[in-house]
Amino acid sequence: MAEITGGFLVPHDPVMFVAPDAPEADKAKKVWDAYETCAQRLADSAASSVIIIGNDHYMLFGTTCLPKYCIATGHVEGPLDQLPGLKKEQVSNHEALAQHIAQQGSDSGFDWAVARSFTTDHAFSIPYKLIVRRAEEISGRSITAIPVYLASAVDPFITKARARQLGEQIRAAVESFDSDEQLFVIGSGGISHWVGVKETGKVNEAFDHQVIDLCCNADIDGLAAYTDEQVLENGGNGAMEIRNFICAMAAANASRGELIEYQPVPEWVTGLGFIELKKG
Amino acid sequence: MKRDVLERILWSLSVDRFSKEKYREDPQKFLGRFPLDEEGARMILEFDVKAMQEEGVNPMLTLGYWIEMSPDRRVSSYNRKLGSDSAHSASIKG
Repeated sequence: MAEITGGFLVPHDPVMFVAPDAPEADKAKKVWDAYETCAQRLADSAASSVIIIGNDHYMLFGTTCLPKYCIATGHVEGPLDQLPGLKKEQVSNHEALAQHIAQQGSDSGFDWAVARSFTTDHAFSIPYKLIVRRAEEISGRSITAIPVYLASAVDPFITKARARQLGEQIRAAVESFDSDEQLFVIGSGGISHWVGVKETGKVNEAFDHQVIDLCCNADIDGLAAYTDEQVLENGGNGAMEIRNFICAMAAANASRGELIEYQPVPEWVTGLGFIELKKG
Repeated sequence: MKRDVLERILWSLSVDRFSKEKYREDPQKFLGRFPLDEEGARMILEFDVKAMQEEGVNPMLTLGYWIEMSPDRRVSSYNRKLGSDSAHSASIKG
């Protein structure tokens, strides 16, 4: 059986690429170094594939169809929203496993929207480039990556309870896959950030630390207990992405998380947290 | 319904090159393709992102629309339009 042996919760902040010099140099370096730490730890693991759980920002899916959850089962490229230093590239998907997750889901009450050909946005492509591709460089081995997209930024939102169930289904599907592969899962998002609204630039460190503590204690119940109103008020519309954390944590079935780095960076409009999901 | 139509138009104007071209050629004619009332059309033509957000339009769309289509594409101007003096920008276009 295949197995998810670890993972990370990391941000996907495009402003880092657009305005890399906006924050103090030391603060910026700590954030870039945190990605490098994740890449090194992935490289040091035996994982041959990564599932990256992110969300659309109302550019991939339009008003004519807004899936609650979607998995890319075939050709993948991206990002659509290219940035300085983040250009569109082909992504090596693990198509057989992605198709298995979708099929196992269909058989067990999870009607995945399926993208047979998919273009990612920065929610996938930032951790893909800075962690997965970098881990390939460090280790010299190939690492495939499966995009999973949740409705975490565009309503109707996936519920936090469903995000958790979906993570559990992903784990069950991986464990029923006829392979001895090891995988990592990455929850991509947050923490506090206000996007396109008048509060943009606000960072709520107290809320960020609450979320970090819940993640480090593997307290999915605690994360799921936030109402959307509480998240919007304390973490902003961008913090609705804690759904991605919940899904990733449920998929990893980690017993705890280890904080790698946290930096509140108003210049990058986000509270940026990096957590490794640990088992055992 | 107004929110749905506004989001349809803003999404098209944010990501679809053909729609952008048609809007720039003749905004009134382009908007005439949609079941939009006078106030909705005004919001789009005047880039009244604050009013659109109050109508429930997703802020990611108002931001994307502003950056793609407004005469002054600066996010500082967008923030002022929202009633904010924030110097920070979540724009992915710099």
